[in-house]
Amino acid sequence: MPSRSLYFRDLRILAAGAQSVSGILLAALVMAFAPFPEPFVEPTERTIGVMASSFEFSPAEISVNPGDLVTIELTSADVVHGLYIDGYDMQISADPGQTQTLTFTADKSGTFRLRCSVTCGDLHPFMIGKLHVGSNTLLWRGFGLATLSVFTLLVWMPATFRKRNQDTPDVEI
Amino acid sequence: MLKYNLLQHTWIKTLTTNRWPLLIARAVALGGFVFAILAGIIGTPVGNHNFAIVAVWIAWWAALMLVIVPFLGRSWCAVCPIPMPGEWLQNGAVLGPIQDKNKRKKFRRFPKIFRNIWLQNVAFTLLALFSAVILTRPSVTAWVLLGMILIAAGLSLVYERRAFCRHLCPVGGFIGLYSQLAPVELRVIDTQVCKAHTEKSCYQGSENGFGCPWNIYPGGMISGKSVNTNCGLCMECLRTCDYDNIALNLRAFGADIQPQNKIKLDEAYKAFIMLGSALVYSAVMLGPWGSLKNAAYQVGTLPWFGYAVALLAFTWVLLPVSFYLITQIANRLNPTSQSPRQNFEAYASALLPLGLAAWVAFSFSFVFANISYLWPVLSDPFGWGWNLFQTAGVAWTPIFSSQVPALQVLVLIGGLIWSGNTTQKIAIDRNASRQTWPVMAFIFAVTLLLIWLFVA
Amino acid sequence: MKKEILARLVVLVLVSGMGLSALVFRIGDNSGIVEVHAAMPEKGGWLTDSIEAQVGEPLVLSLVSDDVVHSFALGQSDFEPVDVLPGVPTEITLTFDEPGPYTFYCTRWCGADHWRMRGTITVTGDEPFSKDLPDPPLYLQLGIDIDDPHENHDLVLDEQPSALRGSVLGLTTPSEFLTQAYYRSHSPHQVWDELRKVPSTSELSESQIWDVVAWVWAQNTNSTKLAEGEALYQRDCAACHGVDGDGEGIFGAEEISGDGTPHEAGFDGHTIEAPTSFQDAGQMLTASPALLQGKIIRGGMGTGMPSWGLIYTEEQTWNLVDYLWTFQFQKSQE
Repeated sequence: MPSRSLYFRDLRILAAGAQSVSGILLAALVMAFAPFPEPFVEPTERTIGVMASSFEFSPAEISVNPGDLVTIELTSADVVHGLYIDGYDMQISADPGQTQTLTFTADKSGTFRLRCSVTCGDLHPFMIGKLHVGSNTLLWRGFGLATLSVFTLLVWMPATFRKRNQDTPDVEI
Repeated sequence: MLKYNLLQHTWIKTLTTNRWPLLIARAVALGGFVFAILAGIIGTPVGNHNFAIVAVWIAWWAALMLVIVPFLGRSWCAVCPIPMPGEWLQNGAVLGPIQDKNKRKKFRRFPKIFRNIWLQNVAFTLLALFSAVILTRPSVTAWVLLGMILIAAGLSLVYERRAFCRHLCPVGGFIGLYSQLAPVELRVIDTQVCKAHTEKSCYQGSENGFGCPWNIYPGGMISGKSVNTNCGLCMECLRTCDYDNIALNLRAFGADIQPQNKIKLDEAYKAFIMLGSALVYSAVMLGPWGSLKNAAYQVGTLPWFGYAVALLAFTWVLLPVSFYLITQIANRLNPTSQSPRQNFEAYASALLPLGLAAWVAFSFSFVFANISYLWPVLSDPFGWGWNLFQTAGVAWTPIFSSQVPALQVLVLIGGLIWSGNTTQKIAIDRNASRQTWPVMAFIFAVTLLLIWLFVA
Repeated sequence: MKKEILARLVVLVLVSGMGLSALVFRIGDNSGIVEVHAAMPEKGGWLTDSIEAQVGEPLVLSLVSDDVVHSFALGQSDFEPVDVLPGVPTEITLTFDEPGPYTFYCTRWCGADHWRMRGTITVTGDEPFSKDLPDPPLYLQLGIDIDDPHENHDLVLDEQPSALRGSVLGLTTPSEFLTQAYYRSHSPHQVWDELRKVPSTSELSESQIWDVVAWVWAQNTNSTKLAEGEALYQRDCAACHGVDGDGEGIFGAEEISGDGTPHEAGFDGHTIEAPTSFQDAGQMLTASPALLQGKIIRGGMGTGMPSWGLIYTEEQTWNLVDYLWTFQFQKSQE
């Protein structure tokens, strides 16, 4: 069938469904912004040794709890490397044999990339690690929104529009 | 369908039909291109302080993936410097036609077997195999750029029109495919005029301009029926059309992605290669796995062969085959009379929005983290200690590092919804709405994988 | 046709303009600045590693790294080392008062072979190279063979000697034990043996005599010297010998197989031996400061230990030697 009419029908269907769109929108907003149930863990002090070598951090991923006082002891194994934390915008650098420390309070939750901040060779821009503070709510919200999207497309929209558009029987959804 | 012809504004019409603005834009682009090659070869070998790497892989790539392709479609191809020298040699002219078209030398048609984008698929995959080196070593980038311009020129001396752009350019392949999503198009206004016009000056060329350099028949570009894929927005047909019958339309996003506009197998493969390489790049370049990075980088070693085999298997076999199986399951669920290949091709275009979203999300990551390298490089493009604009000392500082992950999720969700909706339209068009489910499951799974790679 | 010619001109200017002007600028640049590139030793080290200069004439160097962070330092001088950054040139000006060869070197670790990054600036002038040789270092004057085995693995102390405790006990120590010449030419074990023979220490237990030895060592240094020694140690030694002097620095531990046998390492296949642990009493208490000075100056000759003779001033070497003893003796209170 010609696309033109399909397009206009889509518009009409959308207009008709506008009222019940609010339900889906509300669900999406809840998924995106509602406080995430997270088990409270008493903050502690942590010291984490991180070995930097071309082109990785070891351990590549470090996990702490929100509120922890974190000290990263950065050691380089070959050349001068740095460590920059996304989101926290802090950095240190260390020469091989001279461990450097960075202390901060993990007051932002989420997952942040660690990046090498001192040019250390060709792959330097891709030298990446991760810092997890608490549970990764963004990941779960993303998964939730993806699921909601699929639900909306597969279940909710067909049901809604079939009900509201019985006058356009050629629409088979 | 809502369309808005931009050419009703005189200034836009002048800008596009007059030869000078585009010529100057292209010449500046070619100047930058030559400069990048020069910087790559004689500048510092340190990538993040060399114009070749920073201008091409950070600035140009950011502009291409975040702005030009999603919003302006193939318009990069209108100013791309790569085909220029060859085109000038072919035409014997820089500005416009200077010879009688009958006296023009005849060039061969591109071999029929390659009149598709399979070679582009291969070219892109080849670059992907060596990407860790190409993206980081200025000299390698320079040789790749130089190689592309030489190959393009060589092809122009043998084959007619822009054979390189249409059939070989590793970038052009995906720009073309994703330009179906962009909200601009060049289309005929009144098809009857074209039917009656026997000279077909838009294809054959005239004293006003060259016949379509992209080797399509502009008279056949019909709104709602044709797609953007092969139109390079070079504006030549605006100049050659004797009846002012061509419009440069603003339109809805993704207007080409319609059930009746099936993509062909070579284009479907391009969709898989793009989706697959976005996944692989995200794992290799943004992931925390150092051995994977070193494997991709140490070209010629055993780990690199492992990486190469994995990349090839994933993008050329695993993804397409699993999607093929998905479409066969879909057809089992809700049988139609179409062949397995038709089922496969019918749904492949549903992957375009998600593929573009994946590349936009991927580009967010490294572009915002590294765009601050641009300021020092503009002041000191060769790493020779210059300070042209007093920005040589600007330190590397990632921007939006807190916001990027959420943005990536949003973009991917957008891609998922768009791809899912496209799937539904295709299924409805085939009178087989239950076919939606398996295809949607595939798209959903790929989305989850992408979200996990970007923000986990 | 006129338009076409104009178009060709415009294109020619726009396309070649930027590149050509960059090239002209580059080639026309004859300011006399010497460009020095730094790369990891296996990729070439200093390019160039031999520079010529004239006495009294400023030598301008443009230092840039082609890979990772390096630095430029000048041996046996008070020149403050300058970082050599990837892709970002740094200009320095050096003026030499005396003719002669000067060693420049890298102070920021850039791989296991970092210490091989050395080069020479040959300064010529009206006068010939320094006429009279300086006095040979102490270890040569004393005729110490620094490759002679000296260690005594049976020497194990229950507790680290303490200069603080020794300061009380050592009040009656004869003054000949306290001279610098005596300190530098004797190992702690020799001093301990000698002290045992002195009547004034006959009351003391074995470990108390060790405390007196520690005190003797403390008398021959001070916190300023130790601070400089520590700085040099952390910069140049810790990567192999370990921050704590345990011989398990980042390169020491990595390059050596578990049993400490030498094996091939480095890009030219030289062998490397396990770095000495300065916490090992059997090694350290049997070595005299002069012996350690010799080892630092000459290096390990194929063991992986670099030679520092052209790098450190005599004073720096002694300060570093002083610092090495802090791995054996408890630090004295000020």
